[in-house]
Parts: sequence; structure tokens; C-alpha cells
Amino acid sequence: MNRDQTLALLERLRVAQLRLAAVALVVMMCVTVADVFLRYVFNSPIRSSYDMVEAMMVLFVFNGMSTAFLQRRNIVIDLIDSFVGRRSVRVLIRLSDILTVAVLALFIYAMLTPALQSYGYGERKLELGLPIYIEWAAALIGISGAILCAAGAFLMPTTVRHDETVE
Amino acid sequence: MSSSTLGALGVLALFIMLFLRVPVWIALTLVGFIGNAILSGLQPTFALAGTVPFDVGSAYTLSVVPLFVLMGEVASESRLSGELFQAARVILSGFRGGLAVATLAASALFGAVSGSSLANAATMTRMALPELRKAGYDDGFATGCIAAGGSTDILIPPSIILVIYAAIAELSLPKLLAAGLVPGLVLTMLYMGVALIVAYVRPKYAPDTENYTLRERIASLREPWQFMALFVVTIGGIYAGVFSPTEAASIGAFGSIFLGIIGRRLGVKDILRAIENSVAVSGVLLVIVMGANLFSFFIVQTHLPELLLETARALNLSGLAVMTMIILGYIVLGCFLEGIGMVLITVPVFQPIIVKFGYDPIWFAIIVVIMVEVGLIHPPVGMNLFVIQAQAPDVKIGAIYRGVVPFLIAPFILIVLMFAFPGIALWLPKLFYG
Repeated sequence: MNRDQTLALLERLRVAQLRLAAVALVVMMCVTVADVFLRYVFNSPIRSSYDMVEAMMVLFVFNGMSTAFLQRRNIVIDLIDSFVGRRSVRVLIRLSDILTVAVLALFIYAMLTPALQSYGYGERKLELGLPIYIEWAAALIGISGAILCAAGAFLMPTTVRHDETVE
Repeated sequence: MSSSTLGALGVLALFIMLFLRVPVWIALTLVGFIGNAILSGLQPTFALAGTVPFDVGSAYTLSVVPLFVLMGEVASESRLSGELFQAARVILSGFRGGLAVATLAASALFGAVSGSSLANAATMTRMALPELRKAGYDDGFATGCIAAGGSTDILIPPSIILVIYAAIAELSLPKLLAAGLVPGLVLTMLYMGVALIVAYVRPKYAPDTENYTLRERIASLREPWQFMALFVVTIGGIYAGVFSPTEAASIGAFGSIFLGIIGRRLGVKDILRAIENSVAVSGVLLVIVMGANLFSFFIVQTHLPELLLETARALNLSGLAVMTMIILGYIVLGCFLEGIGMVLITVPVFQPIIVKFGYDPIWFAIIVVIMVEVGLIHPPVGMNLFVIQAQAPDVKIGAIYRGVVPFLIAPFILIVLMFAFPGIALWLPKLFYG
């Protein structure tokens, strides 16, 4: 598989994860609105809404981060760009790419033990009854996609984005 | 090596990494991980690194972040801000500098549905700058108004930075959102005062000629009703204790989509774009919160705040002197750190100190956010200024710098007022939550 094919595949993964996260966000919003509506109008709230929002948050967070990694949208302080040459900036960007993959790998490794413990203890969501290990599995799958996207950043040119911050 | 020395070295390593372009979330995570490993050993640190991402990623309280981001994104996509600006320009016409004041009023009102200062600055540049230029306003003055107005967005609820602040400092989010409102309004009025003074001193910067009749002014009040309705239902709902922040954010996001659709300002593509942007922006924010949690654990273990507190007491520094030094520190940090990073790095260190000096942490949070606002607009690296230039590339950055400088006085006047009258920030939380 050549570079372009790999990038195209990773782009499809990113879009798939982005859409999954988008669906989770919409479900989160709709469940909460429905819960409030039913609570105040019919005095009959959705009992498991809290658990559903938490479960959707897991899908949202661990799938939503892939876009930030593949497109290098994470917040950086680019003050050094004015002091050093383009080549040095490129080296620093590549170094950040490596660190991103390393830290995500660290997270996955560290998350395995509590995930297995959750499976072993058979913990469940209080109202939804959903086994919590399923959420752990969703988190690990999502973050695995994120690590692939982060690794994909190595194949991307080291362009500098100045238009992406979030205050 | 003492734990406090290790803490100081950790903070130093963090700044070096940030200077070397390491993403903020990675710098926080690495310092947090390595620091905790040195202090507590590898096994407990791996346990922490395994649970923190999941705890952040499944936190009901943090679901408010993407939902408020969505509300703001939809408001930007639906061009509601255009109606706001038109209403403000009619109501506030008839005096020199009226259009500048209208821009600031529209920015503050837009801040009532959007929690992002940069989104506000970008939106208002598109809506207001062409009108200001058409009216003969000086480019620098016009962009200065937009930059300053955009910065009020992070004080006026819903504010994304206050949501993150509440999570990291373990403060009540409803109280923080209540605390930001009055300072946000006072700051808007101070900015308006600055705009009027500039227009008076330099009449050629603001050659206003517009004037509307009373009937036209009353008629224009109908336009922003949707903004008011969204604000009253969402933020009013939190203040009144009717909704939790997550519920209010959901209703706000849903309501802004609903109003956009019935007002025919929003198509399916606009909604999808807003949702996807919200995912991307929130993804960036929430990984930072993960890193910040690890970093906070480390700082707590190092007892660095206690060391700084003891040093301040040994030097016989008063609370006011310490606060002044902290504020000066924020001015320096604002020159090269972006807002969220500035909050997440400094609050775990500074908050315990100022609490020991008897200051209210809610009041301090508002001071920090005001300093973040200053960082957003002060040259040479104020992000709002770059956003405006990206939207209007024909305006020189030098002109934007010149235009924003007079407005920088306003946040510092607000800080002085907050020292003299802490109630500016604390009155509303006390009124609602006792």
C-alpha cells in the first residue's frame, strides 16, 4: 500500500470516527432534551438518561479525538516559529507526532488493566444495566483508531495551522 | 530532592516543552505522568493514567462542553449574529461612535449564546466590519472594537473556558457561570466607554451619520428575541435551578438548531458542519482536560503551592501584593500561552495560594478569565487579532494592533473595580445559590 492509499484509508477512518462521535453528540442532546421535556410536561423522566449521556460521552470523546490527531489540530504554542528556521520547525512537528503516538500508546497500555478489572468485577451502569466493560471496550477501540490517525500524521506534510484554537 | 523542588522542575519542563511546540495536552500529560511516577512509583501512576482518560471521557459533568460548543457553532452557522448587529445599529444610532458601540453590544449579546471568543471575533468580523468600513470607520478602530467585543464572550455565560475551569478547579459550574455575567456586562460597558472616547478624540475614526426614528428603534427590538429566548431559557434555567448545566446546554443546542430551521437560516449542510466542528473542537479540549488532570495530581503531591505560600509569608507579602504578582505573571504568560493552557497550567498552583490569603476562588476564577481575555487581545500574539486578520486580510496587523491598544485599559479598570467591589463577581452567585 502506498502513501496516498494509506492516507486515504486513514481519512476514511477519521471520517467514520468523526461521524460516530457526531451521532453520539446528537443522541446526547436529544436524550437530555427528551428527559427534560418528559419530566416537566408528563412528570415522567427517562430514568436512564444520565447513564445514556455517560455512555455517549465515551463514544464521543474517544472517537472525536481522531480528527484532532490526523489534522494536527491540537493546541500548540508556535512562538518558536519566529526564531528558528522552517527545517527546525518541521523537526519539532515530527517530534510532536512521535510524542502523540507514544502518549496515546501509554494511555492504551494503562487502560487495559482497569478495563479487564471492570470485566472481571462485572460492573454495570446503575439504571441502564449496561456492563461497564462495554464502555471500556468502546474507549479502547476509539483510542486505537485515534492512535492510527496520530500515526497517519507522519505521512502528512508538516504544514503549520494558525487558525485552530478554541478559546 | 524535595517534592516542591520537583514540582518547580516539572513546571519548568512543562514550559520548555510548550516552547518547543509540544502540544499542550502532551506536555501536561508527560509532566504529570513522569512527575507522579517519581513521587509515587510506576504502578500507582499507571493506575492513574489508565483511569483518568476514562473518567474524563465518561464524565456526565463534562458533556456540557460539546453541547455548549454545539450551541455556539449553530449560532455562528445560522447567521443570527447578522440580525443582532442590525438591531443594535438601529437602536444605538444617532451619536458619534454609535456603530462601534453597536458592534460591542452585538458581540456581548452573541456571547450569550456562544462560548468561544474566537468564533465571536470571526463572526463579527464577517458581519460588522463591512458595515463599519462602509460608514467610513477607521480600519484599526473598527477591528479594535471587534477584537475587544469578541473577548467578552469568555466571561458572559455560556463560557467554555469557565466550564473547563470549573472541572479542573472543582468549583460549582452554575456559580461560576453566574459570577461571569455581571463582570462581562461591566466590561462591555467599559469597552463602549473607550469606543466613545476614541470617537470623540479622533472624530475622523468614526464619522457616524446614521439616525433612526423611535418607531424604527422599537421595531428593531423584535429581531433579537431569539437570542434573548435562548439565553433566558438556558442560562436563566441554570440560575433558577430548573436545569443542570448539561440539560441547559442540550436545550440551548437543540433550541438554536430549531430556531435556525424555522427561521430558514439553517440548512442540513449547515447543521452537519456545525456538529462536525463541535466534535473536532471538543476533541481538542477534552484531551487537554485529561492531561491537566494528571498534571494537577502531580502538583498536589509536590506541595508546590504550599512552598510558594510559605515564601510569600516569609517575605511578608500581603494578599494584594501576591495577587498583583499573579496578575503581572498572567500578562507575561498571555504573551505566549493560549487561554485554556494558561488556565490549566496555573490554576492548580495559584488557587490554593489565593484561597489561603482569604480570596474567594470564584472571584479569582473571574480575575483569571479576565486576564485570559487580555491575552486574547494584547499585541503581539492576541489570538483574536489574528482571527480578525485571517477574516479581513486587507487590514494590516499593525492597524489592528493600533486599534486595540486603547481597549486594553478596560479589563484593568474592571480588575481594579473587582478588588474594590468583589460583589461584581460574587453578588449573583450569592443571590442564586446563597
